[in-house]
Amino acid sequence: MKTVEEFKAYYEKDLRPTLEILEGERKSSLRNASIACGLIAVVVLGAVGTILASGGPPMFALVLAGIGAALAFGALQLFTRGFKSQFKDSIIRPIIAYVSPELTYAPQGKVSRGEFQSSTLFKHRIDRYKGEDLVEGLVDKTGIRFSELHAEYKTTTTDSKGRRRTQWHTIFKGLFFVADFNKHFHGRTVVLPDSAEKLFGRLGQKLQSWNVSRDDLVKLEDPEFEREFVVYATDQVEARYILSTALMRRILEFKRKMKVPVHIGFVNANLYMALSIKKNMFEPRVLRTILDFEMVREYLEDVMLAVGIVEEMNLNTRIWTKE
Amino acid sequence: MILILIGIAVVVLVVVFGMYNGLIGKKNNVENAFASIDTILKKRYDLIPNLVAAVKQYMEHERGLLENVTALRAKATSGNISSDEAITLNNEINKTMGGIMVAVESYPELKANDNFKDLQRSLNEVEEQLSAARRAFNAAVTDFNNAVEMFPTNIMAGMMHYTRRQLFEIPEVERENPDVKSLFA
Repeated sequence: MKTVEEFKAYYEKDLRPTLEILEGERKSSLRNASIACGLIAVVVLGAVGTILASGGPPMFALVLAGIGAALAFGALQLFTRGFKSQFKDSIIRPIIAYVSPELTYAPQGKVSRGEFQSSTLFKHRIDRYKGEDLVEGLVDKTGIRFSELHAEYKTTTTDSKGRRRTQWHTIFKGLFFVADFNKHFHGRTVVLPDSAEKLFGRLGQKLQSWNVSRDDLVKLEDPEFEREFVVYATDQVEARYILSTALMRRILEFKRKMKVPVHIGFVNANLYMALSIKKNMFEPRVLRTILDFEMVREYLEDVMLAVGIVEEMNLNTRIWTKE
Repeated sequence: MILILIGIAVVVLVVVFGMYNGLIGKKNNVENAFASIDTILKKRYDLIPNLVAAVKQYMEHERGLLENVTALRAKATSGNISSDEAITLNNEINKTMGGIMVAVESYPELKANDNFKDLQRSLNEVEEQLSAARRAFNAAVTDFNNAVEMFPTNIMAGMMHYTRRQLFEIPEVERENPDVKSLFA
């Protein structure tokens, strides 16, 4: 593993010159965006003023102001889009290559919807599926793939006046990680955050065993693990073959370190891990300067976090029949 | 009044049936889990002749160990043995296999042999599966024992003559560290 000093040297030599060019780019796109926003503001405020002065409906003015705000936001996105994609290509891509030359990066790519669903970690019907920043490749012997994902479903309600309202609800948002698992298996085993057992103890466990949308409940012998997670599987023995006592410990420690909900699935020879991380990873900032080592270091840490899962879960240990 | 009594009777019956079926289910889970241990033990017995064949030509001095493990395997697969005997035999097999694996350390040629490497992977896998099956069995037994001892299912269990079952414990195989000095002597 490379040290911070080494990365600092790499930053000074390779990344900083590019960042300086990009900083100019950022400033000019921000300037253009501000001009556009200013123009929109002038037009909208003028229109609102005219409406109110001529005794028009205040509601109409409010709607107009809302449209203005949306336009301004759109303009900001539009003018900074080029900068963002340039940034990803010339900063994020080299950082990923720095971590391992065997990894490829596709800023627009994502883990496919089919794969997300086949993990069976989240069973809700998906109405909108977005993602970005796909990284793919080999870490030693283990093939990995991860991206940011946002899966949502929608509900439509009609109120008494017959107005339809559509609301979007998040199913999962965060980092979705797929790796080739180091043991052979045929069935399905999922490890989910435990809520019922934490609240209701043994009664909660009873309730979990009645969960019809999941496979059989697997009660494991590690009480700390049992408090944090609930495990469902198609095969009791296979679930324990996968979740060795050592791996349970590793998962528990990983969860404690991450401090976010962790879902893990073992399906189709793969390990799927969904980390509900709130921040938008690998995203350049627009409003503040990018000439900042700490910012770049954070990108590195994000990549290392995902790549490090291989190490954390001990996936490169190939002492079983799977090579 | 009669309706209420009938209602109570129905509820009691449902609860009793539930407990009865629950206990049977738990007992069957235990048996099922034991069967899966058995399957994996068979898999392991199948690997022993391969192991012996692979190491035989290298290990002249450890003939005793190899003959021992072959004999144990023959006994274990002979059929008419109780589950207690099976467990004891397997503990013996564990120990002998451990001895063979330690002895392998002094045959670098053997360790580098591809066939042997494959075999070692298979053995590792069987061990891991065996440990999983044992844990599954113990979980099923714990579930069963809880039902047998906890109120109110203990009353039902008493009537069905169900008693606590033993957990399956295998003593850690004592692996001696290979004596590095003697290798270079």
